[in-house]
Amino acid sequence: MSHVPSTYSGVADVAAIVVLLTEFAMLRAPLLRSQVRLYAFQSLVVSALAVDIAATRHINELYALAVLSFVLKVILVPGLVLRLLREADVDLAGSSVLSVASMVLIALAVSAFGFFAVGSLHVHSIALPTTALAIAAAVVLVAFVLIILRSDTVSQAMGFFSLENGVSVASLVVAAGLPLVVEVAFLFDLLVAVVVFGVIMRVHHGRTQTLSTEELDRLKG
Amino acid sequence: MGPSVLAPQAVQALQVLTILLGAPLVSGIISHVEGRLQGRRGPRILQPYYDIIKLFRKETVVTEESSWVFLAGPIVAFGCYLIVPLLIPVLTTYGLPLGYMGDILGGGFILALAGFSVALAGTESGAPYAQLGGSRAMTFGALIEPTILFVIFAVALITSTDLPYALAATVRSSSAEVVRPGHVLAAVAFFLVVLVDTGRIPVETHSGTLEFGMIDEARTLEHSGPPLALLKWGSAMKQLILYTILINVFLAPWGLAGSGSAGSVVLAIPSLLGKAVVIGMIFAVIDNLFSKLRLFKITEFIAAAFLLAVLAVLVFYAGGG
Repeated sequence: MSHVPSTYSGVADVAAIVVLLTEFAMLRAPLLRSQVRLYAFQSLVVSALAVDIAATRHINELYALAVLSFVLKVILVPGLVLRLLREADVDLAGSSVLSVASMVLIALAVSAFGFFAVGSLHVHSIALPTTALAIAAAVVLVAFVLIILRSDTVSQAMGFFSLENGVSVASLVVAAGLPLVVEVAFLFDLLVAVVVFGVIMRVHHGRTQTLSTEELDRLKG
Repeated sequence: MGPSVLAPQAVQALQVLTILLGAPLVSGIISHVEGRLQGRRGPRILQPYYDIIKLFRKETVVTEESSWVFLAGPIVAFGCYLIVPLLIPVLTTYGLPLGYMGDILGGGFILALAGFSVALAGTESGAPYAQLGGSRAMTFGALIEPTILFVIFAVALITSTDLPYALAATVRSSSAEVVRPGHVLAAVAFFLVVLVDTGRIPVETHSGTLEFGMIDEARTLEHSGPPLALLKWGSAMKQLILYTILINVFLAPWGLAGSGSAGSVVLAIPSLLGKAVVIGMIFAVIDNLFSKLRLFKITEFIAAAFLLAVLAVLVFYAGGG
């Protein structure tokens, strides 16, 4: 246990942890608005992580990626979803299946599984902060929990978008030198998802006057 | 050994005296600042001392139903608060002769014994609100316990021991130790534990008089005179003890005396009290920014603290973070 990580990987790990904690915060946020804002904050941390890695490893392409993801994920996507929310005039998420404390405990167990799963791969390298990789896996798993346990379209969309943030963290720490085209393709994927989820939210709200998916229990519309 | 070097026993006595005499001052400054933040003039900085002196001069009223436990509780608690400063790094970076009597866990047990005896004394009074306070204090105390345990596990993983002195030394050793995610998480979790244990705003209004929302405060409603003075003094000491652990073990273990020389030990006293006041001001600001949680929402707050502490331990297992 005497192995102490360097300050660089310490900063990367702390950024990854902040991403994970915002994921947990999104799980328990009662206001849909605050959930979207948490997502914007999470994306901001991911962009900052990209800048940090670009600076310490001298990969100039990552600066472009950081700017792109900042514009897209911190400004554009949250702005769009917030506008949809304002039009829908819905503030509170419907009551979820479980209480907040038990949701947190389940997500904790799931993220522990993620930690140990990555830990059992025995990836050890000097350049790679393994902790950040394990945390990224936990982020993805907690995003799944968010999608499954919260029963409104906004939470599900946010869960999906933040899942992409988890994947971003993983790709940043594992393969920082990934070609820019591939990274941009990820972002483009996200853009498509935004359009799809935007359509779902609008259509769903237009039909049922609510964003809760609990209404979707009839076989015919 | 020159004449300016203090004997370890003297330094140890000084640690206890610092907590004993400095605690009301820190409480006084915090409530003064709090008053200012709320647009009031706030009580005088020395007000807690006057309160304690006044209460010692008053008579003690005991209900007919209560037994000796009612009067013994405050004394036991006060004794516990006098023992804990022997175990934690209050003024020095190195362990003092009695410092190895117990580890962090031992200190936690003694603090728990103090809380238990106050709750027992409150329950013994037979008054409904004091009993309610005692029962709530025990309930939430039990809920926060797993968090404390996981913080201790995290400390043990960092230092391979659970002596508070060892963690403070580790944190001082390099900047990489400070940004270690495990350490950051454990420190924030402990911060939330201190928030719960000192009865601060998301959990409890410490200056309120509304019995329904009370937890810790309600336990002492029936006490009067010298026992009440001991309880008030004790809760100020508990606050300073928890601040000291937070500061000198987790957040900023700098400014402590590295040797027994009289100058550095004496200098460590204002440095500790200054840091405690800074932490107290952060708590005062939190007090003004947030509203009190509903009683049944407190579990969510505690779940958040637990989450941080468990993540701290998990991060260690996932690659020595």
